[in-house]
Amino acid sequence: MARLEAKSEVSGSVWKIEVTAGQSVAEGDVLILIESMKMEIPVVAEAAGTVASILVAESDPIVEGQTVAILDT
Amino acid sequence: MSWEAEVQEIARRRAFADQLGGPEMIARQHDAGRLTIRERVSNLVDGESFQEVGRLTGSAKYADGELQSVTPAPYVMGLAKIGGRDVAIGGEDFTVRGGTSWGSSRRKGGQGGFVEDLAHNYRIPLVNLIDGAGGSVTSAERRGYSVLPGIHGFEQSVRLLGEVPVVSAVMGTAAGGPAGRAILSHFSVMVKETSQIFAAGPPVVRRSLGQEITKEQLGGSKVAVDAAGTIDNVAENEAAAFDQVRRFLSYMPQNVWELPPIVACDDPPGRADEELLSIVPKDRRKPYNMRKLMGHVADNGSLFEIQPSFGRAVITSLGRMNGQVVGFIANNPMIYGGAMDGAAARKQIHFLDLCDCFHIPIVFLVDVPGFMVGLQAEQAATLREGMRCVHAAMQATVPILTVIIRKCYGMAGMATCDKNGLDLKVAWPSAEWGSLPIEGGVAAAYRREIEQSDNPALREKQLEAELRAFASPFRTAEAFAIEDIIDPRETRAYLCRFLDAARGKLASSLGPKPKYGVRP
Repeated sequence: MARLEAKSEVSGSVWKIEVTAGQSVAEGDVLILIESMKMEIPVVAEAAGTVASILVAESDPIVEGQTVAILDT
Repeated sequence: MSWEAEVQEIARRRAFADQLGGPEMIARQHDAGRLTIRERVSNLVDGESFQEVGRLTGSAKYADGELQSVTPAPYVMGLAKIGGRDVAIGGEDFTVRGGTSWGSSRRKGGQGGFVEDLAHNYRIPLVNLIDGAGGSVTSAERRGYSVLPGIHGFEQSVRLLGEVPVVSAVMGTAAGGPAGRAILSHFSVMVKETSQIFAAGPPVVRRSLGQEITKEQLGGSKVAVDAAGTIDNVAENEAAAFDQVRRFLSYMPQNVWELPPIVACDDPPGRADEELLSIVPKDRRKPYNMRKLMGHVADNGSLFEIQPSFGRAVITSLGRMNGQVVGFIANNPMIYGGAMDGAAARKQIHFLDLCDCFHIPIVFLVDVPGFMVGLQAEQAATLREGMRCVHAAMQATVPILTVIIRKCYGMAGMATCDKNGLDLKVAWPSAEWGSLPIEGGVAAAYRREIEQSDNPALREKQLEAELRAFASPFRTAEAFAIEDIIDPRETRAYLCRFLDAARGKLASSLGPKPKYGVRP
């Protein structure tokens, strides 16, 4: 089992958290939506696995490259 | 009497060349996860097509007039074929004195030299396999004096950029001249973890700035490719780097006096993928996967992305349409809504120049809200970089076809149109445009009216709604201010039809393209 850091590709703020810790996800599933430049930019699961933890809360400011969730894959 | 003895001497001397820097140095090269220059050439080129030039060069040792050994010159080069076409190819031999330059009066390559003369005179692509740190201070000791920079200059390297495709693969640690040589290319690639590139390596950085840093931290692909865009692409290993070199060259003509090769295409130009009808979400806040969209439009499996990890707000990809080479420039709504930042502008400029130089028509898939905004963007000279990109687009003379997928705003949007040519722009029904987006634009233009209203927020919304009615692409089409609105599924057929028709224009406007003026 490997730990995978899900990172935001953009700076912005957390718009919506779409998953909860413990939930299993498929590759490509949306984990968190980041609001940036008036768009909702998804952070997606890069591999199938289980959400180990969510590291941010809704409306938190996010910087580019920030890890927002951890997956066990 | 025959020349048998002398011919045997040729064979003996060739054998010295094949020994490179000796078994110990070759083992060190392999232990570092790297191939030797001869292995690299042989793995990269077609079969046995390598015809070496200068195989007997080196420093010989004699005893009583008898040859004892030859240490080969640290550069191997010659003529070879890639994809059935001739190329000039050369690279440093790191196993001989770390690939440092070698004191002959005629260079073999690496910075000018025979290999670059070969590419220039025969008008064939140049492939540089770079693995060296350039000059060595020990050469001053040998010569007895210090040479001025540029004694073996970059003038031929620069000339080649307007004549033939130049590809550089950074295969080891490159600093100084070889690092500079890598940049003077149309396409460059480096190898993850086993190659690094910088102006100067860790010992110089320690001495100059007192910084302790490893060569991977200083010039590995995370810095050189992803953060800086110094090198275009990264490959997992040397074999994958060679794949990328071959792939890049497959889209290129041999020189600017010829057209890129057109291949037989088994993907019907009329293919109309159903997915295109719903790929753009109706909710304007929701982005979509532009790479998937491109895959539905281009010939199957034909896309080859340049600089995928740098300036990610824009996607620049070579590809084919009905077998003809095309440069795709597409905005990526997943990265800041596709807004053009300094890095994206720099990437787009290079790609525009590349396509224009080699007579490759350009297809823009437009979804750009404008230049990136904010303090960071201003500090990064986004406006200047963005205008440099506009300038590059306005200088391009290849046919440019514009497909507006969603947003087309501002100066970044203007730079997607064929202003020197037909200026054919088609839009999807999801398209919207203007000199600036309605949101924000309304707040600025109607500031007084909004402020004086009883309910400013409501008034702003009302004004936005009123203006949005005029934003319908159909109204612009009525006025022929957009040439067509098309069913997204028709995109491939429409573009193929015009790109096929543009072949005659491309074929009759070949040659170098001198560009005048000052790019801002």
